[in-house]
Amino acid sequence: MTTVTAPVQNRRPKWQKVGLGGYIALGLMAFLSVFPFYWMFVVASNGTEEVSKIPPALLPGPRFLTVIEGVYQAVPFNTALINTTIVGVVVAVAQVFFSALAGFAFAKLDFRGRRGMIVFVIATMMLPSQLGIIPLYILIAGWGWVNTLLALIVPALVTAFGVFWMRQVIDAQVPNEMLEAASIDGAGVMRVYWSIVLPIIRQSGFVLGLFSFLATWNDFLWPNLVLQSPDMYTAQVAVNQLKASYVIDYALNLGGAFMATAPLLLLFVVVGRRLVSGVMDGAVKG
Amino acid sequence: MSHVVANPSPRPKDKGRSKGAPSPWRQKKKPKEQAEFPGLRSLNGKWGYLFVAPFIIMFLIFGLAPVLYSTFIAFYDYDPLGEQTFIGFDNFAYLMEDSTFWTSIFNTFDIWFWSTFPQMAMSIGLAAILRNRFLKAKTFWRTILLVPNITSVLAVAIVFGQLFGRDFGMVNMVLGWFGIPNIDFIEDPFAAHIAIASMITWRWVGYNALIFLAAMLAIPDELYESASLDGAKSWQQFRYVTLPGLRNTITFVLIVGTIGGLQVFAEPLTLGGSTSGGSEHQFSTLTLFLYDQAFVANQWGYGAAIGIMITIIVLIISGINFLATRALTTGEAK
Amino acid sequence: MNIKKFTAGIALAALVFGAGVSSATAAETEREVAITKTITIWTFGDVIEPNLVLQYKKAHPDILLEIKKSDLAAMNGTDMTAACTSKTGPDIVAVEVQYSGKWRSYSKCFQDLKKMKTSSANSEMTTTYSTVKRNSKNYYKLDANENPIKVKNSNFYIDSTGAKVNVGSIKAGLSATSIKPQFIPWRWEQGVGHDGSVIGIPTDVGGMEVLYRTDLFVKAGLITAAQSKNGTGREIVSKMWPTWEKFIETGKKYVSKLSAADKKKGVGFIDNVGGIFTAMLNQSPVKYYKDNKTDAGTIFDTNPKTKKKEPIYSFSPQIKKAWDNVIIADKAKIGTRTAQFSPDWPVGMNNGKFAVIMAPAWMMDYVKQQAPLTKGKWDVASLPGGGGNLGGTQLGITSYSDEKQAAWDFLAWYLAPEQQLQVFRTYGLFPSTKSIYNDASVKDYKDPFFNNAPVGKIYSTGILKLKPIFEGELNPVIDKAFGDGLARVSAGKKTSATSWKITMDELKKLTRGAK
Repeated sequence: MTTVTAPVQNRRPKWQKVGLGGYIALGLMAFLSVFPFYWMFVVASNGTEEVSKIPPALLPGPRFLTVIEGVYQAVPFNTALINTTIVGVVVAVAQVFFSALAGFAFAKLDFRGRRGMIVFVIATMMLPSQLGIIPLYILIAGWGWVNTLLALIVPALVTAFGVFWMRQVIDAQVPNEMLEAASIDGAGVMRVYWSIVLPIIRQSGFVLGLFSFLATWNDFLWPNLVLQSPDMYTAQVAVNQLKASYVIDYALNLGGAFMATAPLLLLFVVVGRRLVSGVMDGAVKG
Repeated sequence: MSHVVANPSPRPKDKGRSKGAPSPWRQKKKPKEQAEFPGLRSLNGKWGYLFVAPFIIMFLIFGLAPVLYSTFIAFYDYDPLGEQTFIGFDNFAYLMEDSTFWTSIFNTFDIWFWSTFPQMAMSIGLAAILRNRFLKAKTFWRTILLVPNITSVLAVAIVFGQLFGRDFGMVNMVLGWFGIPNIDFIEDPFAAHIAIASMITWRWVGYNALIFLAAMLAIPDELYESASLDGAKSWQQFRYVTLPGLRNTITFVLIVGTIGGLQVFAEPLTLGGSTSGGSEHQFSTLTLFLYDQAFVANQWGYGAAIGIMITIIVLIISGINFLATRALTTGEAK
Repeated sequence: MNIKKFTAGIALAALVFGAGVSSATAAETEREVAITKTITIWTFGDVIEPNLVLQYKKAHPDILLEIKKSDLAAMNGTDMTAACTSKTGPDIVAVEVQYSGKWRSYSKCFQDLKKMKTSSANSEMTTTYSTVKRNSKNYYKLDANENPIKVKNSNFYIDSTGAKVNVGSIKAGLSATSIKPQFIPWRWEQGVGHDGSVIGIPTDVGGMEVLYRTDLFVKAGLITAAQSKNGTGREIVSKMWPTWEKFIETGKKYVSKLSAADKKKGVGFIDNVGGIFTAMLNQSPVKYYKDNKTDAGTIFDTNPKTKKKEPIYSFSPQIKKAWDNVIIADKAKIGTRTAQFSPDWPVGMNNGKFAVIMAPAWMMDYVKQQAPLTKGKWDVASLPGGGGNLGGTQLGITSYSDEKQAAWDFLAWYLAPEQQLQVFRTYGLFPSTKSIYNDASVKDYKDPFFNNAPVGKIYSTGILKLKPIFEGELNPVIDKAFGDGLARVSAGKKTSATSWKITMDELKKLTRGAK
């Protein structure tokens, strides 16, 4: 972002400071954004019956570790977290890799059928995924992948949205002049892709990977169908084991939900800044 | 790493405004985009096939084939464990007369409306505040707004379910302070839609605010300065400098939001508590209706027919979106 | 990356997940023996009791039991169907009673348990229950309220009443036919196909009685405090409502005694009048389907008025009566419109918003968990109309299982009376094994949470009176449609006649493929 210093004149344009209203708005949004987490923690640490009182408990209580113990006794939660991390990382890397390839091709290379394929990609983003669950299961079962992490990873290796995003990003961030220059210097397409395009889109690729990881972390319908044994569960399936009762123990469920979200929060603390700048860099500029 | 500020139109030569000519601070609308090739002819296009191959192949196997199979069964009275009879377009004919189908279309659009437009206004507003150079703790605000995006939908639904409880939920408690009587967010269709819309808004408003912020930051300061030198007030600057500059971003956010919004599933299922969508089907969105008919009412062919209708609807809407934004970008500047 | 933030983050993570790990290792049993067989069980809720699973693991360290819980809609809609079509999936499934009709129509997905015979694997069970160490003492965690019981010996444990409980063994050579006499006949029939194949054996039975708040009833003058205390209260209350009409009358009386402030807050007699519909319907032998000697049954019958074949749900006098009763109850404003299992429900329980709940046996545990502060303030009275059933489970073995013998060995053991007795003690789930109803721990069991009501005796008496109901494939869907129909009237959105018509239209749509 460039800033042009205004010429020193009497009518110097005034940039207004953020008023009180602005801070109130931001503060309110920040509070609302975080409140559900806080509430999860309050319920999980107080036990269900506390929440049923009028007025409900609003401050955290002492029973958090007890509730968490309950969660761990119901499901091997740490294993679930590890499983989810494995699937999340592999899928994220693969999605970024394949999306960048295809996105680059759509953005910068000319080949027959290019336009048709782009339309096809966008159109398929619109199909409801619930439809495909049963046939996909039959396919997976036929290959003997039921109850394996493969069943979660392989179908998720590519994503139409990733291709769409990468195409957008490459289009916006990689100037043709650079490619022109390299091609004049004799570099082939592979070389151009590797040494010029990839470094430029690194940040956006990272963001795509992060969102991909998040989506995998929060995915539920498919893993719940495919995974059978407790040591194969992913985080959401594990949390759902707490819920699938005649009885809805809110403390246990929200404790589990909290534990399923906590790693993401920690991740967020570490890479949050990068995520923010990545989202902003990858945005379409007007 | 340097980024070059380039606009997404096919002509890659712009680096900001052209120099020399005095630039009116009111943005001219961009000329109609040529359907040109945006890339580089000198690169060997044949590589394209290789590069898209992994994506296309895997997509065909895992993405498309299952859906095609399901589409095929839309023409059958399909029982996976029993008989399968070909019935042609019967499922579709029935669907046209099924009042729940039309209700779910209405619900989906109602929820889409209430979760898209207020949210967009909020995101743009937030972005405008965040853009301000004098804002304290910029990174803190930006980061915290992304927090809702990383939660799982299931967990959020449980929490919001509690917050929206009719008799004892916190939302009604707060409303009670203002003298508003308890709202039944589950039984009253409009309130139910607002509840779902607020869940969606909560999740996405921060994310979209950041996208808009990025776009706003790309609007050159000179435009604002020329404007204010011309005596424009802040709201005028907003209307004639900021908004036009956000046009493409708004389109992007709208399209992605629409595709997602028309497929809302987990929130109504968890908040409403059943696949049938409540006593007046107030929670039936199109995808929930599909799920209910296919897997709970055991009418798989019918569910597949609904799926096809959903796709058609989304295609139509996206088409409208696309044409509308095309028209807007080729209009005259005021 | 900020080093401070990073370190703080790691420290926090270590604390939280470390706590989890330590309890996880405590909960896991050590495995030194290689796993030779894996039995996958698909279930829901508390149907498969974890401590029994632990005991089985200790007795058979080479067998791995994998339990997966799901929501009913997902499990019966997508999961089990996908498993059966692809012939891969679980070995044992727990089928909830309202879906028993559906799976009986697809009996090819299940193994006929008459043809299975137990091996001698479980004929001499002598291992101890798994123990939990707390304050350097060994305890066996017995019930949901975590009352720890000290473990004393190897093949029995001492329960909270001080009684000795034996570990159950089962003979070799048992098939479904052999164990049939142990079970309530009408519950057994729900798992039998038309050709006589046994596709599911019942574990728990819903039973249904009425839970009422003693303190609130005393306040309303329906009984005196003394009567409640000396145990005659529940008989008096039960006599107040032998029929549903009298039940509604009692409700009206209760509501009339409420203070104006209470009335304004929406306080009422019963949590949801819709419960009356379900209860009534589950008291009659014909619900929505008629037994026509096929597995699926038929949804049609001859309407005596028109002499034509029409869907049962449209003319059945039972259904009509149940519907009308709910409308009457609703008009009398005795319900609080609190949906069961909604977030408002436990809060309402804790705060006296309603005084009466129609409760299957399995709901008692729920009340204990959600409203512990109301301990001792509830009591159990019998259901108007004489007993009903809501819920219950059948356990079956899939036809495509690879471990049928091992699965049957486990199942037969799990369903043995001793084990079912333990399920009752732990969860209050009422077993279908009638042979244990005369066991002291059932007959004489008095629950302090419910004012020392002899819940064992009350529920078992009610259950034995019931007649079998023929469950059909679309039962849950039809139930839901009627529930929605009544909710519309309750919410004041439609009149009874209009809502009935809408419900009929919806049902026509939902059942259009049914025979």
